[in-house]
Amino acid sequence: MNKSTNVVLLIDDEPKIRRFLRAGFELHGFSVLEAENAADGLKAATFNAPDLVILDLDLPDLHGTEVLEGLRSWSNVPVIILSVVADEDEKVRLLQSGADDYVVKPFGMAELLARGEAALRRYFKTATENPIVMAGPLSVDLVGRTVSLNKNQIRLTRKEYRLLHILAMHVGLVVTHDQLLREIWSGNQRDNIQYLRILVRKLRQKIETDPNHPRLLVTESGVGYRLQARLENGLEN
Amino acid sequence: MSLACVGLVTAALLLLDHKLALNLVPVAYLIPVIIAATQWGIWPATLASVAGTGAADFFFLPPLYSFEIDDPQEAVDLLLFLVVALVSSNLASRLRRETEALRQREKEIQQLYEFSRRLAACFTVSDLISAIQNYLSHALGQQAAFFVAMADGHFEPPKSGSVPSVVQERVASMIAKVAVPAQTIVDEPTQNVWLIRAVCSEAAVHGLVAVNIGSGSREIIDSRTGRVETILEEVSLTLQRLDIERAMEDARLHLQAQLLRDAFHGTLSHELRSPLAAIRGSASVLDSMPLIRRDDRAHSLVEAISDEVADLDGFIQNLLSATRLTASGVSPRLEWADPRDIVDAAIQRRERRLSAHKVEIEFAEDLPLVHVDSGLIEESFGQLLENAAKYSPSGSTIAVSARAERGRVILAVADQGVGITPDEQQQLGRRSFRSQRHQATIPGSGLGFWIASTFVRANGGTIDMSSRGHGLGATASIALPGPQTKAWADQ
Repeated sequence: MNKSTNVVLLIDDEPKIRRFLRAGFELHGFSVLEAENAADGLKAATFNAPDLVILDLDLPDLHGTEVLEGLRSWSNVPVIILSVVADEDEKVRLLQSGADDYVVKPFGMAELLARGEAALRRYFKTATENPIVMAGPLSVDLVGRTVSLNKNQIRLTRKEYRLLHILAMHVGLVVTHDQLLREIWSGNQRDNIQYLRILVRKLRQKIETDPNHPRLLVTESGVGYRLQARLENGLEN
Repeated sequence: MSLACVGLVTAALLLLDHKLALNLVPVAYLIPVIIAATQWGIWPATLASVAGTGAADFFFLPPLYSFEIDDPQEAVDLLLFLVVALVSSNLASRLRRETEALRQREKEIQQLYEFSRRLAACFTVSDLISAIQNYLSHALGQQAAFFVAMADGHFEPPKSGSVPSVVQERVASMIAKVAVPAQTIVDEPTQNVWLIRAVCSEAAVHGLVAVNIGSGSREIIDSRTGRVETILEEVSLTLQRLDIERAMEDARLHLQAQLLRDAFHGTLSHELRSPLAAIRGSASVLDSMPLIRRDDRAHSLVEAISDEVADLDGFIQNLLSATRLTASGVSPRLEWADPRDIVDAAIQRRERRLSAHKVEIEFAEDLPLVHVDSGLIEESFGQLLENAAKYSPSGSTIAVSARAERGRVILAVADQGVGITPDEQQQLGRRSFRSQRHQATIPGSGLGFWIASTFVRANGGTIDMSSRGHGLGATASIALPGPQTKAWADQ
């Protein structure tokens, strides 16, 4: 990243989870702060200005959602949620109240690191204004509004480009259906997720090697879509 | 008796002085009349009145010892006495009737009270039935029989009892449903009237009571019918009370079960998954350490840990799904989803389980969107994939396909495995069903297919399993409701 070391704040009441998170982050050059409850976590976020917050939802004093809301009232720091529930509604709610992404326990360190780095990248992107987003073989020039796949420029319709633009701005991070619908369509079409599904299909046909088995523009079922920062090979992490 | 009374009065008056007796005559002869009226009724009292008039004339009015009367004034007096006697005998006897009726009512009320006390002590329907039988036949001295309502809607005749065949036949033709009207039926040989009335609470008919009302005038029949109706009214109230109690008991048990399941759910998802998360996470960190990456043995051990944790997590996920199903049923969160996404996600999630097989995927062109809870369908399809991998040999092909067919979208998994027999097919949908053939050789909980089929049904779809026979592989398919119109297709 841009700074020499990024500071990550872990807010989780389970010491064993914190232990491996610390090891994993330190191994990748982060410096780690820990908090075992919401009060300590909010305090640490205020006084130590971390670059990234990893927030568990099950905290002894406050629910993670409230911590997130408290944090968001004054800070833009990227937040990744650790959740045990595979409940799509809750994921969407958390994303809407300002979480950058989530991972569902049990998760692998690589998955969390990828999310964290994507969130950090997005956070610093707004500061540096680098207009080119790379996602595997795909590159999107957000200023020039051009898209190329394996260095060959491809043509997209206005709506297809709009969709890709939003996803590219959040590259590596999930974007909810609601947000996509809101930013691409207007009026009563906003509520129609079918339009979005069709548009995604069309875009995939232009950017994916095999549109039936997308590896760049992936579906987060019940939540939204994600533009992968790089192609993953084989097994999930 | 009334004549004896009149005689007694006459004798008493004869003992007195004639002049004094003459003054007392009209009053004295009223005594036997009143006595007769209050004790024995209107006819003895009338007899006493006439006898008293005659005796007064014969013994005390001049000429004595003859029924003739000299003085017309006395004749009028005597007639007046007769009228007064008749009227008062009538009044007195009516008083007596009413007292008797009152006493009878009191007795009935007493009996009813006894009966309702017995009812209050009833805690089951069968207690109640025996109380009714007991009361009707013993306390009221009436023949009664109770026909218990059976589950098939008919009434079971009582084992013993002397119910005439006419009544039996009528009951046999009746069907147990709420609001069966009361009926009366006449048993021709004995001229007895039988009342048939349903005993029911709000929810169900528990049986029929047949009561012999006896024979007699319309009023008698009506009053007896009224009595029986009152009793049955009491019975209905008691039945309702029993129903309420049972419902409360059910609700309490249900709540307990619910709490237990919630606790189980909470424990599973937190207490079991948290350590798993720590193990999985730690293993993944270990795996990325240069030290481990350089050492093949260590690397393979770490991988084994990750794999086992993934299996364990899958198993816990199954249990969670199962408790979720049992706890509250499933309420799918419907949205329009691309069936390709669902299939891809399911395959990706099971990638490791499927790694020993060749997975061929075929999607039809122009697959419509489906209106389902994609999470639930993904889970269901994943279960089918897992079963296919479990029951077919390593290296064989698992063919996955999605196609549209008559307005529905079919997701199918075909394997080249052991197949299923028709017998097994019948039992597939049952929870925890595991075929005898595989119990020893292939691990599993038998929850998978049950979870899959319940999830699919909750989404308005159907699940099907077919096989050409033992050893010829099996095809599992999920049919999902597609769009009704094509309107969505033109954007």
